[in-house]
Amino acid sequence: MDMSIRGGQYVGNWRVLMPVIDEAKCVACGLCATICPEAAITGKPKVKPKIDMRFCKGCGVCANECPQKAIEMKKEATK
Amino acid sequence: MADFDVIQGNKALAYGVKLARVEVIPAYPITPQTTIIEYLAEFVANGELDAEYIHADGEHSCMAMAVGAALAGARVFTATCSQGLAYMHECVAQAVNYRTPLLLGVANRTLGWYWSLGPDYSDIMPELNLGYLVNFAESNQEVLDMTLQLYKIAEDYRVLLPTMMSLDGFYLSYSQERVWMPDQEVVDKWLPPYKAPYPVDPTINDKFPTASIPPVMHTPMRRIYEEILQDSRKVIQEVDTSFGKTFGRHYGGLVEEYKTEGAEALLVTMGSMTTAGRRAVDKLRSEGEEIGLVKLRFMRPFPDVEMREIASKVKAIGVVDRMMLHGTRGGGAFQDVKSALYNSNVKIPLQGFVTGMGGEDIPIDDMYLMGKKVLQVAKAKRVEKEVEFIEHKFTGMGKPVEVEWDEPIYPGSDGCAGCGASIIVRHLLKVLGPNTIVINPPSCSGVNYGQAVRVPWILANFAAAAAYETGVYRAMKKKGKADKVCITSFAGDGGTADIGLQSLSGAAERGEPIMWLCYDNEAYMNTGIQRSGSTPLFSATTTTPAGKVIPGKQVRRKNLEMIMAAHRIPYIATASLSYLPDLERKIKKAVEVTKAGKGLAFLHVHQPCATGWYFPENKTVEIGKLAVQTGAWPLMEIDEGNFKLNLKPKELRPIAEYLKPQGRFRHLSEGQLEFLQKDAQTEWSALLELEKRGRFPGY
Repeated sequence: MDMSIRGGQYVGNWRVLMPVIDEAKCVACGLCATICPEAAITGKPKVKPKIDMRFCKGCGVCANECPQKAIEMKKEATK
Repeated sequence: MADFDVIQGNKALAYGVKLARVEVIPAYPITPQTTIIEYLAEFVANGELDAEYIHADGEHSCMAMAVGAALAGARVFTATCSQGLAYMHECVAQAVNYRTPLLLGVANRTLGWYWSLGPDYSDIMPELNLGYLVNFAESNQEVLDMTLQLYKIAEDYRVLLPTMMSLDGFYLSYSQERVWMPDQEVVDKWLPPYKAPYPVDPTINDKFPTASIPPVMHTPMRRIYEEILQDSRKVIQEVDTSFGKTFGRHYGGLVEEYKTEGAEALLVTMGSMTTAGRRAVDKLRSEGEEIGLVKLRFMRPFPDVEMREIASKVKAIGVVDRMMLHGTRGGGAFQDVKSALYNSNVKIPLQGFVTGMGGEDIPIDDMYLMGKKVLQVAKAKRVEKEVEFIEHKFTGMGKPVEVEWDEPIYPGSDGCAGCGASIIVRHLLKVLGPNTIVINPPSCSGVNYGQAVRVPWILANFAAAAAYETGVYRAMKKKGKADKVCITSFAGDGGTADIGLQSLSGAAERGEPIMWLCYDNEAYMNTGIQRSGSTPLFSATTTTPAGKVIPGKQVRRKNLEMIMAAHRIPYIATASLSYLPDLERKIKKAVEVTKAGKGLAFLHVHQPCATGWYFPENKTVEIGKLAVQTGAWPLMEIDEGNFKLNLKPKELRPIAEYLKPQGRFRHLSEGQLEFLQKDAQTEWSALLELEKRGRFPGY
């Protein structure tokens, strides 16, 4: 195995809450993308954010900080 | 009578220390030793153990405190492992000629080299030959019992030498086993308080130890110390017998033999691997093979006489080593057994095995195969390959995922959910760009982002990150590339305010144009929330628990900005992850200053830590904002001596708004809260005053 490979790790199946963006409320300010601790949200001002759920740990910082309250933390669907 | 508990090895050791009524405990965290000092901190904070508990600022100081306290006549305990033990080395050696009978607990972990948290004996190996009595424990019960025994042995006036106890990290330190607890009264009678014969106490004594003697006395002194160490086997044997009489458990002397009667071949083991060895021997015996096992209980003094006698009755010996003496082809125990037999009449083949390095398990199956191999050697009467390395194929570990990404850090770190450091490192690398070299002293970030960043991320030694940076910078300068790369640290508060301060101060004084970014989460979070020099007043951590007698940390934090300002470096700033534009502007400014070759730029970034501060992980950014708005973390900068506050609320919000959501301040009394409120107000007024003056004093 090449130990020099760089990259992130997928999150395990332990996430409890997942963020869901309400497209109607979102004004694409880009704040959630800048503060996501996992860099799992892509988006910048005027571009609506997208969350890569493979990396999201469900911490909820984005939902807590969203000025429009456009992100809701919902219970993870059972797998 | 005595009772039992099911506890970890680290707790067994802590109980042993408590039962021995140790008087001074200097402590510094390092995995997997840390919980020993955490349990002890709890005993002291709750008034269960009346001891001086010292929060050291690094292992070197930690061991120096231990030697100092023992010189003054106290019963002393400290613990460490791996890199920490190596950093201690100088002071470890000094304890011998001072004849300080302290106990140093070593929860083994491999010494980097490649880093790992798992145990092998590469950390204790360089310390073996200093003159210590070195014991290797097999079980948690033995850990507790030997703690008491080692104090009794070491404090015997015939010995008076420091002792070291090895307990394998993880296999013992974190594994729970049944441990019988001796009664305190019985221990008190068996192990009376230590009375140092020559303490450095001029009020009662006029003979003091010396650090240096003329060369002509060195050889005789070495001989005398060696004789004392060799004679200590008598004391070891006596103490073990008396312990057995009092507590009902005894272990034998320097070695323990297992099913050696009538054996043709022997396995020699040490530490926790012995238990797997016993089961392998059981299995081989049940198959009719004549094999036994010898456990090396003490590595120093080395049981050479015992090994000679045991070897004279068998046809071959296999030594299982969890350490490698590079350049000698084999492991440490193997070489010791070999040299013990050389000038004797015993001429039997010796087979060495090296296995379990970096903490890899040594399962019963492997022991079984090693036993088989030694039996073959006994039959053939010769070894084919003197040392065999037992290796396994690499299978585990998730592969990192590469994704389309235009940022310098990949998504998906190994950090906790809601980690603030992740936010900081991402914005740091965004500003610095791809031509960046990050020097990272051990911290959470070293574990979390080493693989997830696209730039060189060099794990530095804890006390020397600024020196690593200096080296990299000077080489780049020599090659004419100094203005093409950014060299920055990404250091925690321990690596900045405590153990790393000396090398940082040196780099600042020399005017090295490098960046230093300290992400301050106000404790040693990577080892599990121990207090650091940056932990705020009254905060509860695992080494300053909110105890019944001592509630939380009792002293104020270091003021790092003022320390750095005393070096008159060109740029100093505090920042917060909750004010990202401000943070990015300050990083840009720091790059400008260093690329212009003006000197060291110091950034001190506040990082709320959900795990360590005990608040819900979605509040990371919110708590950071509150810290700034309540005056707990003022945003300021000192640019070429010009002092400026970057965010000035008309009125500070009450500090309780910041403290109340955090579990680490849950225990605060009204009085303590009021004190903190007043403190924040006073500091804020002083900063306003400073801003009015404009220039920082001393520049």
